Amino acid sequence: MPRLLLLIPTTTYRTEAFLEAARGLGVEVVVASERPNTLQDAFPQSLLTLDFQKPDLAAWEAAEFARRYPIDAVVPVDDLTTVVGAAIAEALGLRANSVESARAARNKAVMRGLLSRAGVPGPRHRLVSLDDDPELLARTGPYPSVLKPTILSASRGVIRADNPAQFVAAFRRIETILRTPEIVATGDGARQILVEEFIPGVEVALEGLLVNGKLQLLALFDKPDPLDGPFFEETIYVTPSRHLPAVQSAVADCAARAAHALGLREGPVHAELRVNGDGPWIIEVAGRSIGGLCSRTLRFGTGMSLEELILRHALGMTIPSLERERRPAGVMMIPIPRAGILSEVRGQSEAEAIDGIEEIAITAHPGQTLVPLPEGWQYLGFIFARADSPERVEIALREAHRRLQFVINPSA
Amino acid sequence: MAEVEMKDKIQQLLDESINPAVAGHGGFVQLIDVKENVVYIQMGGGCQGCGMADVTLKAGIERMIMEEVPEVTEVLDTTDHASGNNPYYTPGKS
Repeated sequence: MPRLLLLIPTTTYRTEAFLEAARGLGVEVVVASERPNTLQDAFPQSLLTLDFQKPDLAAWEAAEFARRYPIDAVVPVDDLTTVVGAAIAEALGLRANSVESARAARNKAVMRGLLSRAGVPGPRHRLVSLDDDPELLARTGPYPSVLKPTILSASRGVIRADNPAQFVAAFRRIETILRTPEIVATGDGARQILVEEFIPGVEVALEGLLVNGKLQLLALFDKPDPLDGPFFEETIYVTPSRHLPAVQSAVADCAARAAHALGLREGPVHAELRVNGDGPWIIEVAGRSIGGLCSRTLRFGTGMSLEELILRHALGMTIPSLERERRPAGVMMIPIPRAGILSEVRGQSEAEAIDGIEEIAITAHPGQTLVPLPEGWQYLGFIFARADSPERVEIALREAHRRLQFVINPSA
Repeated sequence: MAEVEMKDKIQQLLDESINPAVAGHGGFVQLIDVKENVVYIQMGGGCQGCGMADVTLKAGIERMIMEEVPEVTEVLDTTDHASGNNPYYTPGKS
């Protein structure tokens, strides 16, 4: 039986989906997390603790582990583990992205530099430091611009500035986020802010799989809610895209060029692009699959999950189909409307009764402290829909969200 | 093995090995039922709603039970994780 090492951060939404896929494939799973599991002592052969912030050390420890308990594939389940995953794969001689490419995809400044040098369309940009004087930086713009940390994900700390005053305010706000101890611990990237020219247009998200350097398109999602700032909260994703086939093709080409420019060659790719009259522009490309619970919108062939597809690729198993089911599908990541303590969620039954709604997963728990963007990075939950058309999917998601009521009390 | 006997062995395993371990994270596991070699459990405390509950269940609890009672084919979690108000690990998107 093949043995699979899953790199699962304790904060990920992706645990259940990957474990379920592994179970379905009948593979033996070893789970590594950054903090020890309570049952690790009883199952040292299947539960492992690795420091995800120290890829070299983690790779050495994983190699030692693999000498006793051989590993056939390593799969990082989300953004936090792509670099350590590449390092472990390299140490074990397994097919995967290079460490260098994984690092490039994790750091927005490195990514932007490589994409720019390769001529992949993207915003003009510059890298600034927390040591710089924001008042001086603000004089040169450009405006409108988008300021973002180089190392965070889920739109955390991403802020638009239309003028010098907003620039300074955004800089200070990001600085506060970056000075929190858990982010400082991530290293030099925590001292940098990327300043990008704001690219007008609509946004799409591409899900793909790299096999021997060739990008296979798995799904293209439209994001019907405008993402014009000041914060960039992800909400609705609907697939298939309603863009013209030529536009979709240009988006896929652009994402493939971006992945190539970073040196990504194997495994899942998630890319965010803007589309306007000048064509597609890469906002970000990551060597991972779609985040949150959003992969529940995707089924391939006769019902294969995205996670099964990823595991099959990593294990060198046959992939019966890369074709997404025909039925339109969508997800709404339920944003946190304001800071506070979640007390109660009302209206879930009424929301689930809407035609097309498949599931509503509330992932925030009662009593949880809620932090909205740009400081926060979590969602209240996820709404999933399938219908006969992308328009109906979008309508169902919006109506379900309208019926949900989140009782949020002020923090003490 | 009769279901009554299976229940006794699993309960003993929970009492002596599993619950003392998950108590370290403020959690506990209850045996709900055993039917046709499928074990139904419920998780509480720090395990209820925990982002790593699936790992603890599939890579730990299920294996432990299957080693002790080989007739068991699956361990199913019947917990209402959405209602957990003190999970040890809370997921966030990345």
